[in-house]
Amino acid sequence: MRKILSITFNDMILYFRDPGAVIGTFLIPVVFAVVLGFAFSGNNGPTQVRIDVIDNDNTALSQLFLTNLRQANTALVLCPADNSEDDFCRLGDDPALTEERSLGRLSNNDTLALLVIPAGFEASVEANQPVSVTYRSNENAAAPTFILQAVQAVVQRMGGALVASNVATNTVAEALPFDDDAARDAFRQQAYDEAAQLWAENPFSVSYVAAAGAPQASNSQGGFGQSVPGMASMFVTFTVLISAINLIRERKNWTLQRLTTMPVSRAQILAGKILMYFLLGMIQFIAMFGFGLLVTTILSNFSENVTPLYLGQDALGLLLIMASLTLCMTALGFLMGTLIRTEMQGAALLNLLGLSLAPLGGAWWPLDIVPEFMRVVGHISPIAWAMDGFRKLLFEQGTLVSVLPEVGIMLAMAAVFFVFAITRFKIE
Amino acid sequence: MRQALVEARGLMKTYKRKDGTEVYAVQGIDLDIYKGEVFSFLGPNGAGKTTTISMISGLLAPTKGEATIGGFSITRQPMEAKKLLGVVPQEIALYPTLSARQNLDFFGRMYGLGGKELAMAVDEVLEFTDLKDRAKDRVDTFSGGMKRRVNIGVGLLHKPQLVYMDEPTVGVDPQSRRRILDTVIRLREERKMTVLYTTHLMEEAQELSNRVGIIDQGRIIALGTVGELVQKVGEEDRLIFDVGEQHIDNAVLERFKQVAGVTRATYQSYNLKPAAGAEDSAEIIVEKRSTGTMQIVRSGQVTDGEITVYAKRGRKALPELLRIADELGVSILSVEVREPDLEAVFLHLTGRALRE
Ligand SMILES: Nc1ncnc2c1ncn2[C@@H]1O[C@H](COP(=O)(O)OP(=O)(O)OP(=O)(O)O)[C@@H](O)[C@H]1O
Ligand SMILES: [Mg+2]
Repeated sequence: MRKILSITFNDMILYFRDPGAVIGTFLIPVVFAVVLGFAFSGNNGPTQVRIDVIDNDNTALSQLFLTNLRQANTALVLCPADNSEDDFCRLGDDPALTEERSLGRLSNNDTLALLVIPAGFEASVEANQPVSVTYRSNENAAAPTFILQAVQAVVQRMGGALVASNVATNTVAEALPFDDDAARDAFRQQAYDEAAQLWAENPFSVSYVAAAGAPQASNSQGGFGQSVPGMASMFVTFTVLISAINLIRERKNWTLQRLTTMPVSRAQILAGKILMYFLLGMIQFIAMFGFGLLVTTILSNFSENVTPLYLGQDALGLLLIMASLTLCMTALGFLMGTLIRTEMQGAALLNLLGLSLAPLGGAWWPLDIVPEFMRVVGHISPIAWAMDGFRKLLFEQGTLVSVLPEVGIMLAMAAVFFVFAITRFKIE
Repeated sequence: MRQALVEARGLMKTYKRKDGTEVYAVQGIDLDIYKGEVFSFLGPNGAGKTTTISMISGLLAPTKGEATIGGFSITRQPMEAKKLLGVVPQEIALYPTLSARQNLDFFGRMYGLGGKELAMAVDEVLEFTDLKDRAKDRVDTFSGGMKRRVNIGVGLLHKPQLVYMDEPTVGVDPQSRRRILDTVIRLREERKMTVLYTTHLMEEAQELSNRVGIIDQGRIIALGTVGELVQKVGEEDRLIFDVGEQHIDNAVLERFKQVAGVTRATYQSYNLKPAAGAEDSAEIIVEKRSTGTMQIVRSGQVTDGEITVYAKRGRKALPELLRIADELGVSILSVEVREPDLEAVFLHLTGRALRE
């Protein structure tokens, strides 16, 4: 083990000996991420969040409730009502939702929350009877709090306005009887509108918008939340794929051959080098996210359009995605190292792989904006799975558990690459 | 009783050409290297020296045959075998962007050293190779000779019983070469190390070795002490007379043969060709094939002749030979007396010179 660590440490020193290494590894990727971050700002594409809504009441009031909810947070996509043409809600051919089906979708992470409006909702409200709207969130995805906050805020606002209009209506009725029910309803509506208006202007509801929508409300999250993980994934890919070229160089230097005449096993040599590139990739990943946070934090002091990059609520999940992608690419790098003969071939293959896997996997632009077909094809790139995972964490309040499928696929890819690389690895 | 530290049996290495035919790099080598000796492989370029060393150091898997170091099989117990061994490759196998000390430090760890022991070993090697004051400099700022010394130093870090040195003097100036040869002698004398040394220079093999294996086309064609090998060609000296452009007829050679102690006399003339690109210069430098020395000749002078006389105790016959030449009007430009050496052995066994 000591020898493995010595090899790792020595290779790390060798890597950073190159004066361009720091610039190439840290500075350039950050510049790319910042520029792209601004380019994508205002794009709310990836900021949407699915919630299932079962409206058993289906009255004007329940519809109003949902309209208010949409307005409260534009990130929410109410399924099935607001499903997009390309089936953002993931409903398939059957748009009908039952409570049972929705519960299944919740546990599959297909949706993040379920809202059930009970039958008789409008009637109960009008009769001033207590009524409750059921809200369920995915326990695994650790209750996306901003959805609940949006719901609660709407309930509160509407409830307050309804009370006010009811009170108003009743008060008016006693003093000055209405001509008929229509007149009475018109008055009630007017009173409600005025009351709702007042509530909307109420400082409380303003503070709710800020609190609940924080990450989603900002234009910059859409941009930086895409560009930081995207550029980080791409540059980490380049960095660890260089390991292939480095193997060739060490063979040319004869240092690799010299190592094999020493009491070090091939497995130890390989392990040391794999560990080095894995650590290097992780350092770069973490640094990129750190710089992304730093830059957006600084910029947020100067511009209202920029908020500090929101990194989700589960740092461990974030690290796990980074680790899986880095491992996967390191394995690919070593496989590549066994296939190429010269540094020139290595450089060519590096560019080919890096420059195809990155855009395919959605490192340059979100995969939401590409045709369905490309989105499917893109998932041959490990980066696509990493980006899916990042998006769950940065935009959908996902947790470690919710990104396990992506992590699993990347690790499986890594295993396949490693098996091929190790069986092909030769030193002489 | 001499104890073998390295034993190789039937080592063979073949490579496949692109067209599917096989190239024999090494075709069956049996070898014992005894504890405490310096054993040299002497052979021309491409003879198979590096390939053999690679197979007995665990770098190359032999196509056939096997080797042990200190009783440990290099293929089946590589860790144990390699611990006994320090290898100095023919190439400079160092990290060019690291300092001498960093290189030594890293490779020392690979030999299993650490802590104080490592620091001491590195200091000692820097001292031994006389690189103390350059220890902190990057290896790519070193001269060829200094790189060679670091290259050697790495192989000595863990004080192995056995060191392989593959042509360690290639491409270094005479001064550094001397230093390296002295190092080898010190390793044997002071540290009682066993050394396997490869070279295509017979002077080196002759000076350093207890025993020499002459290797050619992947086979050991002769093996023994320098004395034993030289005996194979008899104890005759070679006297080489440079006669320049003169034509020498058989009568001269016949007279030479009658001198006491002389067994043979031959005449060879060469067409000297100027080095490519130097055809027009007034003076051209050419290499004499027989002695391997460089000579400046006037432009236009394109032939050069030599009389080679084989004689027991050649120096005694020399005055008489010179007198005869004078008598016959042959002017002798220079004379060289060569005692029997490994060069002659190689020539005798293969009909070719060691350096082409
Ligand atoms: N990888 C290889 N593929 C094909 N042929 C090879 C390979 N390596 C060595 N050879 C051949 O094997 C033969 C022996 O090579 P080797 O390097 O052992 O010679 P050497 O005695 O060390 O020569 P030198 O003095 O030039 O170092 C040569 O003819 C060489 O061309
Ligand atoms: Mg060689």
